[in-house]
Amino acid sequence: MNYSYSIEMQMDDQSRAAKGSDPKEVVIAVSPAFGKALSKTIVSVEHSEVLREIISGIEEQGGVTRVIRNFETADLAFIGHLAAKLSGSGIGIGIQSRGTTIIHQRDLDPLSNLELFPQSPLITLETYRDIGRNAALYARGENVDPVPVVNDQMARPRYQAIAAILHLKEAQEIVRGKPAVNVDYSFTISEEETV
Amino acid sequence: MKPSPTAVRRSKRFQVLEDRPVNKDGFVHEWPEQGFVAMSSPNDPSPSIEIQDGRIVELDGKLRKDFDMLDQFIADYTIDVATANEMMNTESVDIARKLVDINVSRSEVLAIVKGLTPAKIVEVLNQLNVVEMMMALQKMRARKKPSNQCHVTNVRDNPVLMAADAAEAALRGFDEQETTVGVVRYAPFNALALLVGSQTVRGGILTQDALEEATELRLAMLGLTTYAETISIYGTESVFKDGDDTPWSKSFLASAYASRGSKMRFTSGTGSEVQMAGAEGKSMLYLEIRCIMMAKGAGVQGLQNGSISCIGIPAAVPSGIRAVLAENLATTMFDLEVASGNDQTFSHSEIRRSAKMLCQMLPGTDFVFSGYSAVPNSDNMFAGSNMDSSDLDDFLIIQRDMMVDGGLRPVEESEVIEVRYQAAKTMQVLFDELGFPAITEEEIDAATYANSSDDMPKRNVMEDLKAAESVLKEGITGLDVALALANRGYHQVAERIFNMLKQRVAGDYLHTSAIIDENNIVRSAVNNENDYTGPGTGYRMSEERWEEIKNIRQAISPSEY
Repeated sequence: MNYSYSIEMQMDDQSRAAKGSDPKEVVIAVSPAFGKALSKTIVSVEHSEVLREIISGIEEQGGVTRVIRNFETADLAFIGHLAAKLSGSGIGIGIQSRGTTIIHQRDLDPLSNLELFPQSPLITLETYRDIGRNAALYARGENVDPVPVVNDQMARPRYQAIAAILHLKEAQEIVRGKPAVNVDYSFTISEEETV
Repeated sequence: MKPSPTAVRRSKRFQVLEDRPVNKDGFVHEWPEQGFVAMSSPNDPSPSIEIQDGRIVELDGKLRKDFDMLDQFIADYTIDVATANEMMNTESVDIARKLVDINVSRSEVLAIVKGLTPAKIVEVLNQLNVVEMMMALQKMRARKKPSNQCHVTNVRDNPVLMAADAAEAALRGFDEQETTVGVVRYAPFNALALLVGSQTVRGGILTQDALEEATELRLAMLGLTTYAETISIYGTESVFKDGDDTPWSKSFLASAYASRGSKMRFTSGTGSEVQMAGAEGKSMLYLEIRCIMMAKGAGVQGLQNGSISCIGIPAAVPSGIRAVLAENLATTMFDLEVASGNDQTFSHSEIRRSAKMLCQMLPGTDFVFSGYSAVPNSDNMFAGSNMDSSDLDDFLIIQRDMMVDGGLRPVEESEVIEVRYQAAKTMQVLFDELGFPAITEEEIDAATYANSSDDMPKRNVMEDLKAAESVLKEGITGLDVALALANRGYHQVAERIFNMLKQRVAGDYLHTSAIIDENNIVRSAVNNENDYTGPGTGYRMSEERWEEIKNIRQAISPSEY
């Protein structure tokens, strides 16, 4: 007999997200469809598992997490930069539904970044945890060794058209002019017996 | 319940086919409502033009009051109102025939195209099959001599390896070299590695560092790069605005490069608007034609296109690779330099990627690849090119098989080892002179014989990043680099770097399709204009060049037996 675990995530959009003041805070901004209209990344990893790993990475370094949802754009650079601008520490993480992730800092140009993980099919749960960890370390003002960038030149031929379809679906959830909101989140772990 | 596939008896032939590399590629049916269609969408406009008092008041069925910013830019700065009515009244099929006809000169076609609207160009291109497009591209390319560009990057941004790879790429014949970063803050080191590595082998090679636009411009202004290419433009207003940009802001950026005497071109390509969910239901080719015309209106000398990083999107739909050839051709029809893609992985199939590449290699373009990965694709930080360093012998042999000049030359292993050593050694001296983290003899040895970054000892990344950041902070220039090398007796490479700075003052290499030869002479569409009018005209390989291409190291001499 085996056991399998599944993580349920509840995400509830709250009131408008304001600028934080806690210097330990790292803001994670999710894209419009994340955990709502879409629930899995391009390689079918549940959004709940992705978010839980990033948060764990932040918190194991003593960081404080706040999750917000951006409605205005599906563009990762701007999602990440918004997170950084609203973050008490000035460090933010942006994530799209297909799994692409960025670590941003508020004083950088939007199209620049601290670390970018552009190839969503290659990001493992372990990498998501490392991304959270590094963001918390940047927030503490430390010199940080970047998470190694994984590169698979054959990800494009296999996934680019699918990525475009996921992005089109993401874009259908954009609400122009709607400010970002704080998101209450909770995880429920359920255990199932399997034969 | 879905039937289990194992329950169904399978054809053994289908099982063989399923295991073929091509079946790892992604293919999708057309989705025209979202612009997931290559060359023609039911939502594409029909060609039309209306001119009042020398001003375009209607463009492709849209009145001026309804123009988006691209319509306005193209109407005001690209289309020649003096000839537009006449040219728009020419049948599209007749224009298509002139493109292919060897008896119609390049300049005659250029004069016609000036008066056409985006929808009309799309209609013309839809008349052509791929062989006709290649015929047209052979004639319409701006520079007579075709050339090639490469990528030089590595996963760890190792500057010693990067300089050695740049030196090898220079020896192999690439006239332009492009790098980018894994970690953004390494950018100044990567620019330095390409500059020093390429100039170690020959003067005149152009180098660039593809980055976020402000940093890319800064490095060019410092003289650490000698051209730029990653200035992206898009075919719809919404995608432009997503990038916080307009045709005017991109034009301003272009003039910033021009004001510093640095070559630059824009970048665009089919599929980018679909990828960014902003295609507005238009075909990929129609939107790309708008980009090409925007580039022309902005006054830049050239464009990198051929889908580029979005190649997986046109490649997934019918006639997509044809659309990519069509966009390269369209660029040349506006008298612009074309750096014609082939620079990104789009297929697992060796047959498919060769077939695609031949569309640009056989007719010849200003840069057949933009670029060819001079390093293994595992080290390619543009996410992989259509061909990489392990395909170099295939490419050289295709040049020889077809008697086609793809810009590369066969090289000896001993020469490669020598120039790689020289480049790594020069970097060691430069780092020492500038007070950067030391480059060890062990690193030089590894870089000399390396294939990839796996072969390199690790460097202290944080120390490197501090030094790299100091390049920007202290404003270390190309002149500082040349002086540092001259101080240590490296006069030849110092002089070559200094010569690249002199080119910036002379400005000749701002002309269309410019490259600089080993004698520091600019070769552009001005002094090397393509004059193809059929057999016996245009670019023909010299005897010397053919001897070079013929003599691959693998060939056996009959006298050996």
